[in-house]
Amino acid sequence: MKLRSATILRPLLGALAMLLPLAGAAEGQGLVYVLNSGDANIQVLDASTRQQKSRIPVLREVHHLALTPDGSTLMVGDSGANEMLFINPATGELLKRETLSNPYHLGFSPDGRTLTITSLRRDQVDIYRWDGQALQLAKRLDLPDMPSHLAYRPDNKVVYVTLQASGTVVAISLETLEPLWTADVGPEPAGIVWHKDRLLVGIMGSDHVAVLDPDTQAVERRISVGRGAHALFPAPDGKTIYVTSRVDSRITLLDPNSLEATRTLNVPGGPDCVTFDPQGRLWVTLRWKGRIGIVDPVTGAMETQRVGRSPHGILFAVTPPQAAVTN
Amino acid sequence: MINWLQDAWDSMNGWIFEMLVQPALYALGLMAWAEDAFEWIDFALFGLLQVLVVYVICRPLEAWKPVEPRTDSRSIRTDILYTCLTRLGLLPLLAFIAFSALESRLSGLLAGSGWVPPTLETLFPILRDWPLLALALYVVALDFGEYWRHRFQHRFSWWWSLHAIHHAQRQMTFWTDDRNHILDDLIGAFWFGAIALLIGVPPGQFPIVVVILRVAEAMSHANVRLSFGPVGERLLVSPRFHRLHHGELGAGRDGKNYGVLLPVWDWLFGTADFRRDLFPETGDPRLPEEMATGSWLQQQSAGFRRLGRALMRPFRRGAGRGRRAY
Repeated sequence: MKLRSATILRPLLGALAMLLPLAGAAEGQGLVYVLNSGDANIQVLDASTRQQKSRIPVLREVHHLALTPDGSTLMVGDSGANEMLFINPATGELLKRETLSNPYHLGFSPDGRTLTITSLRRDQVDIYRWDGQALQLAKRLDLPDMPSHLAYRPDNKVVYVTLQASGTVVAISLETLEPLWTADVGPEPAGIVWHKDRLLVGIMGSDHVAVLDPDTQAVERRISVGRGAHALFPAPDGKTIYVTSRVDSRITLLDPNSLEATRTLNVPGGPDCVTFDPQGRLWVTLRWKGRIGIVDPVTGAMETQRVGRSPHGILFAVTPPQAAVTN
Repeated sequence: MINWLQDAWDSMNGWIFEMLVQPALYALGLMAWAEDAFEWIDFALFGLLQVLVVYVICRPLEAWKPVEPRTDSRSIRTDILYTCLTRLGLLPLLAFIAFSALESRLSGLLAGSGWVPPTLETLFPILRDWPLLALALYVVALDFGEYWRHRFQHRFSWWWSLHAIHHAQRQMTFWTDDRNHILDDLIGAFWFGAIALLIGVPPGQFPIVVVILRVAEAMSHANVRLSFGPVGERLLVSPRFHRLHHGELGAGRDGKNYGVLLPVWDWLFGTADFRRDLFPETGDPRLPEEMATGSWLQQQSAGFRRLGRALMRPFRRGAGRGRRAY
């Protein structure tokens, strides 16, 4: 049970807030999807004006999302409601809902044939097969304590999942659908990405990114980024890896070759998930402020605007639609 | 203006979390609980606001038309302490932590069986488009649960030994609502939380339901000569309706007017007393003085002792019968 806090006024305030115009304008064609986990809705913004285009109500709490491999459908997990929402990313139209056990984090394998879903609350990882139309549960694994984020090996043979409460990463074979190994990485690991034959893991209970060698299952390096290191987002052009730190409220830029921190951007409000617009700017959810920030990585300047409570996942869906990295 | 208020509230909540709570969680190695803690800050802040709202509504009413003069400030201060402990989230937080692990295990087992638990909205899809109606139904269902919990508090002697603290107060005011034994509060949280889970109350709506029921409860305890009229008395629990429950005849298992928000349950189950001209004195003279006017600690201690005696009673009777048999 996750007991969510809200006020009796909040739904009314939220509804009225929808009527109020949002200030500011920016370039960029497309829609921005913001998952307001504390307000039970998905906010759809027009990327060019940043004005709200629509608001999709959900039953409980939405945290993460994934585009289907062809980019035609946006999947959003409503974990508390045991539902997956299917949305047309180009229009914001809700296509359908499907009953599905506690979808928290989700991501497709590089070949697009597997969708892995973690259930943070239920300590489970579900592996689904995807044929382009429907999901078929292939395996449900009970794992110790709070499976959180995930990453795939590029050959589609292994998915790696961080286990927040046990301080480990588990490797699961996508061939046998059984765990291969578990490695200690540090307290409360969260985000994880595959990078040049290594796994980069944000250590939320500490201040660094752990560089894990999946062959030896040893942490070979720790890169200091800031307290509460959370999630990692490689830039679409491959020139930078961005790391959010929720306690120090900053985004650290890593050089993808040396993995050295090259710069730090102050992003007050608990930066969490990041998506990129065509100009290379970062759209960041600020969990503790009920806002999103639009950050220019060149100047470090950030504009913020109000969204809903506890915004978590975010996606800049470009027009025309295309497959994109999701968080 | 409304947008500004919402933004200001979130900013204050966020500031407290970022500056005070999150660094503490980090230092204690509890960052995995950060999101839950964030929500609880909101809950505690709202609890504070709730106390203020209740005070602003009830205190002028009590000053305007009191049933009886305020002569026992000491016992009122003790009730205020109860309120602070309860409403600022400490007890609900403990219950939540206990439930969180339990619910996670239970729902994991259920999911493993292939069955996905329904919610009110999946059973009645029309409610998806009527969130306020869904909220109202959750309130009604939980209020029904509270009615029966209250009846059981009076029905079972071990439970009554704890609940008696609530009924010992002779100087009843709106602060008396939270005057409960800590064990009674925990049982109540378990009861309420279990029903909420069973019927699938959305986590975001759970505190709203709590607030609605709590404000109603505080109002019903107010020391005010107020009746809601022949129709209103049957729709909502009034200070008069609940005062009858706290009168001498309300104690033990033969009480009346157990409802928290809706009197309809008393009506349905034959425990309603709608006499509108009656504002009896409150308290139970059979209870020990320390339960009525003692400190918080004395009251809690008395509750534990009475509970022990109530639990031992069947064994003592059994032993007595045994001696007689031989």
